[in-house]
Amino acid sequence: MEHEYIIAHADKSVLKISGLEVKGLNTRQLEQILGEKLHTFVRVIGVTGDNVEMDVYDIDPEQVRKNEKGLIESIVLTEGITVTELTKLSCSEKIVEVDYDSIPDEPISACAMERWMKRK
Amino acid sequence: MCYGKMDEEKMRTVYILPTGDEIKNGTVLDLDAPEIIGQIVKAYPEAEVTRLCPLVDVEDTIFNKITEVAEKQPDLIILIGGSGGGHRFSKTLGKDFTHSALERYLDECASHEIYGKNGHMWSKLICGKKGSTTIINVPGPFVEAQAACEAFIKAYKDNLSVDDISLNMANAVLKQYPVGAAKTV
Repeated sequence: MEHEYIIAHADKSVLKISGLEVKGLNTRQLEQILGEKLHTFVRVIGVTGDNVEMDVYDIDPEQVRKNEKGLIESIVLTEGITVTELTKLSCSEKIVEVDYDSIPDEPISACAMERWMKRK
Repeated sequence: MCYGKMDEEKMRTVYILPTGDEIKNGTVLDLDAPEIIGQIVKAYPEAEVTRLCPLVDVEDTIFNKITEVAEKQPDLIILIGGSGGGHRFSKTLGKDFTHSALERYLDECASHEIYGKNGHMWSKLICGKKGSTTIINVPGPFVEAQAACEAFIKAYKDNLSVDDISLNMANAVLKQYPVGAAKTV
């Protein structure tokens, strides 16, 4: 087995919209709508029947939070999403950089973050 | 360790295997499989491409299905989704088992992992061989699946090794992020 690692130096926050009704979501359309609204890359990373979790890159999380109403309104026409009275938006702070030298080589799991958290 | 180049350019039978509970239960439309089918047919007009029923995110389920499909000795199997760290990083994210199931199964394989600077594995791209069958995975997000598949087809047509195919796919996926700088470790 040949394994190599590439580190992507991008700022990322996680944008979550909850309180939705989701069925037959067109993720590409949602990414395009929010991408145009936020002027950045948006990537859907997790979907359940009532929420959507997305990565958003190089953006100030506070600006996203301030624009909650406008962002929720913008997704109304997305195929597969119904906005409800309970719909709300949250956005995490930007990811925190870790020191790759402190990640143990031993493969505790496939995820470097988990290895870093479990480091001795 | 260096692996040999692909034997020859051929593509007669292809199986596409979407993964993910949200795809299987219809919460999310499967946009990736139609895109990949289109790319394969465009590159190989005579190929017979079959999209299989999506699988739940359970490693043994994925492993058993790969085993079953590979016994038919197709030229190519493409697994979609489950390529990141997923649940290992966040309990709210889906369970990503495609890469671990693939690595359990393959005799010969190469992989390239893309990590964010937070230490989270964003994606792991694998290319491997089992007998005469080439097996790869692509990420679930549409633009990443699209880019990875395009890179695979080009590399495959160029008769590159599994290691180079995996590298080209990883670089194509990396380009879908707004990455200021990337380095290989």
